[in-house]
Amino acid sequence: MSISRRSFLKTTATAMAGSAAIPIINNRFFKLRGADMQNYFEREFGISEALCQKALQVALSRGGDFADLYFEHTISNYVILEDGKVNRAYSEVSLGVGIRTVKGDQVGYGFTQELEKESILAAASTSATIANASNNNPNKEIIKLKLENYYPLKRLLTEIPLESKLPLVQGVNDKCFSLSPLVKKVNAGFADEQKRIMIVTSDGVLVEDLLPRSYLYVTVLAEKNGRRERSGWNIGGRRDFSFYTGNIINEISQKAVDRVLVLFEAVQPPAGEIPVVLGPGVTGILLHEAVGHGLEADFNRKKISTYSDMIGKKVAEPEVTIIDDGTNPELLGSINVDDEGTPGQKTILVDKGILSSYMHDKISARFYKVKPTGNGRRESYQHYVQPRMRNTYMLGGSASPEEVIKSVEKGIYVEDVSNGQVKIGEGDFAFYVSQGKMIENGKLTAPIKDINIMGNGPKMLANITMVGNDLQMYQGGGGACGKGGQSVPVGFGLPTVLVKSMTVGGVK
Amino acid sequence: MNNKLLELAEWTIKTAKNAGADDCRVTINGERFVEISYRERKPENIKEASTKSLYIEIFKNGKYSGQTTSDLRKEALSNFISNAVRMTDLLAKDPYRSLPDKKYYGSIENIDLELYDEKIKSINPEDRHKLVQTIEDACLSVGGSKVISVEAGTYDSSFEMVMMTSNGFSGYQNGTVLYAYAGMTARDEGDRRPNGYDYALVMKKSELPNPIDIGRNAGKRTLDLFGGKKISSQKLPIIIENRVVPRILNGFISAMYGRSIQQKQSFLVDKKNQRIGSEKFTLIDDPFIKGSQGSKLFDNDGFASKKRIMIENGILKEYYIDWYYSRKMNCEPTTGSPSNIIIPKGNRSIEEIMRDLGKGILITDFIGGNSNSTTGDFSVGIIGKLFEKGELTQSISEMNIAGNYLEFCQKLIEVGNDPFIYSSQKTPSLVFNDVMISGV
Repeated sequence: MSISRRSFLKTTATAMAGSAAIPIINNRFFKLRGADMQNYFEREFGISEALCQKALQVALSRGGDFADLYFEHTISNYVILEDGKVNRAYSEVSLGVGIRTVKGDQVGYGFTQELEKESILAAASTSATIANASNNNPNKEIIKLKLENYYPLKRLLTEIPLESKLPLVQGVNDKCFSLSPLVKKVNAGFADEQKRIMIVTSDGVLVEDLLPRSYLYVTVLAEKNGRRERSGWNIGGRRDFSFYTGNIINEISQKAVDRVLVLFEAVQPPAGEIPVVLGPGVTGILLHEAVGHGLEADFNRKKISTYSDMIGKKVAEPEVTIIDDGTNPELLGSINVDDEGTPGQKTILVDKGILSSYMHDKISARFYKVKPTGNGRRESYQHYVQPRMRNTYMLGGSASPEEVIKSVEKGIYVEDVSNGQVKIGEGDFAFYVSQGKMIENGKLTAPIKDINIMGNGPKMLANITMVGNDLQMYQGGGGACGKGGQSVPVGFGLPTVLVKSMTVGGVK
Repeated sequence: MNNKLLELAEWTIKTAKNAGADDCRVTINGERFVEISYRERKPENIKEASTKSLYIEIFKNGKYSGQTTSDLRKEALSNFISNAVRMTDLLAKDPYRSLPDKKYYGSIENIDLELYDEKIKSINPEDRHKLVQTIEDACLSVGGSKVISVEAGTYDSSFEMVMMTSNGFSGYQNGTVLYAYAGMTARDEGDRRPNGYDYALVMKKSELPNPIDIGRNAGKRTLDLFGGKKISSQKLPIIIENRVVPRILNGFISAMYGRSIQQKQSFLVDKKNQRIGSEKFTLIDDPFIKGSQGSKLFDNDGFASKKRIMIENGILKEYYIDWYYSRKMNCEPTTGSPSNIIIPKGNRSIEEIMRDLGKGILITDFIGGNSNSTTGDFSVGIIGKLFEKGELTQSISEMNIAGNYLEFCQKLIEVGNDPFIYSSQKTPSLVFNDVMISGV
């Protein structure tokens, strides 16, 4: 396999570090599409339009409303530092095509790792078995779809030599040790992935994309008076390699060391129902769990979501507007096109407190007789499409962050969240607070850590009584969301927000 | 034994050595699977495919890397291997990295673990659809008018794996898996729509329970969630139901890995041969259970499998230490990761235990939560039932338990007689006293 050496159009990639504010309305229309982007699968693997047409014909040979082909070639690399040296590296090549036939809400799916005609047609006839009628035909003409580019690269990630990555990881290690004598162990790494896809649909659309993803991470272990604590930080997204500068190394290291040292001062928060202030940024996981999943249209089409009768209804105070967006530059959940050929876009889920839209793939859009919202995503060619989130965030409100904190007499302030989960039907959700602070008499006091917070989605939404003016988007590169056995990268963001009451799982 | 896979492994080793590798280890996996699911009495998804992948670990001049590909055409593979060897050369030397000393390969037991069943491999489409329809029907009939949605399905697979090293190890394992499940969402009071599920995972078809029971249990477990609400925060005894014990246990086991110990990311550092739980806490790693998902004759290093008592009556006896971390820590290796986890069962059923305890909480599922392996702190959401005077009374939701593993495991007062058999973690229900439950 040869990798072309042509570069992309040069652009002014905004290298925003940490949890920096991102302009939400952003029309960066890059007139891209050099020779590098186009016809990749034809050039490298000999996949012709005629073969695609033939495969779609077989996929629809027993009827079926529509069919699509999803070609993927992904190369990922991962270098790891342990005990002071970058002494292990892993890489993976993944290549294949998945073929889907859809009949109503029924899906037949076959895939193959061999891009030979016979294998592709065999996978197509597997997918065809979902239908049981006379044959349907794909559109005779195929139109190539042109896309905006929300993650332009100056150089392909596959062109970045290993030698260039090593100093980043080594640099983080050395910086962390230099920041505190309490630091005893550092684990650091750099991961990058370059995913090329081509989607061909039976309604006559062909679209190609190149999705980069990378991140630099560190975990730091510190010891103080015989006690050990560990914390870490990562920064990344759909970034060009030039994003990773000395400043990023310093920022990641400083943040990780600060975060581990504060844990030695942590106290246990009280257990039970108390007010919770969510700091800006990564706390957007709360929206992802409490609201986002419940608004994925498949759960509503099947009536199993607690939100399935609530379109057009008031679900929150007027200050609350929640958006799911594939178009934020270089964020982890951004997509130029979804995995069934719908261009990347922005969807308002809750508009000034009113539930306005679900997140749709083609199947649910047909069911609800609306346009797909570009949320049809899949983990890889081995998986079929599901409605999934992209970057989910709440718009900023009117209060300053200080005002939000000041309004709470006794409660907790959440700074960092490591994971979450939701029960779609009940709306009950949980998320794990790895760092935060107590709020006492309107002031941030002792640090807290390692507590689970529970709530109920609709109740929590209604309980958001103050929204700060400081929206931040999560700038990490390691976030992934799991659903139905599939993992996809997503992003999130939140301004400082007050939730009147949630259940905090302390031990006191 | 699949000669093609063996030949490919041999060819890969030869190619890697020709490209300049000092040593290498190759693992090749192949799988054929079919997955179907039903909703509203018709197929919702049907998926079928074969996959294969090759993983090669390269050792060169004290340097190490691991590479995976699904493109097994020899020309592509040959380029892939040369690139991999070149890349390895750029890394820093690691004096602890090598293939294991041959003496640790030992002799692989000559026993049939019964992981492969021709009856699973030969399931035909009609049988598969019939099985799923039976599960779906049983589930729907339990839910009746309360049903919003029922999904039932199966996944069946046959797989094989070859592992070979350039210093003389060669191992092969094949197997089959059949997984059958149902999940129900039902209409509760207000706007709550509880979702419950049941499943079985077996490697021999004859061990699959009656499919009607899978459907019925999924329905029953859903209806059991009705009326879920918070109760007041208090200290109570809890029973963690057998099938969900691994959710809590896995945070503990992750602290037993050699890497966690060597990197000091474990609350079990320096705790070997010390008390880390109550007398009731015994944990056995048993790779030889016939027809069980975690069974194996050799591990990822190629070490011949061995049954081990990891924790005995509350005393930590072993860590999970692979070859690499044994060299880093200058100790003897055990095995790098768990096979089947066994907690020896007790004498009483959970019904008997509930009668005895009077009041407490039966935890049937967890939500969210996490644990900190460095400190042993954990906090997790719970779903289940309050029991009073030995009888289940109120469903609970939006509640939480928290603690530190070292204290929590001291509170283990009894082990149920009901190990969950459809998993490699064959855990019985566990009973803990005096646990802080947070709610209202």
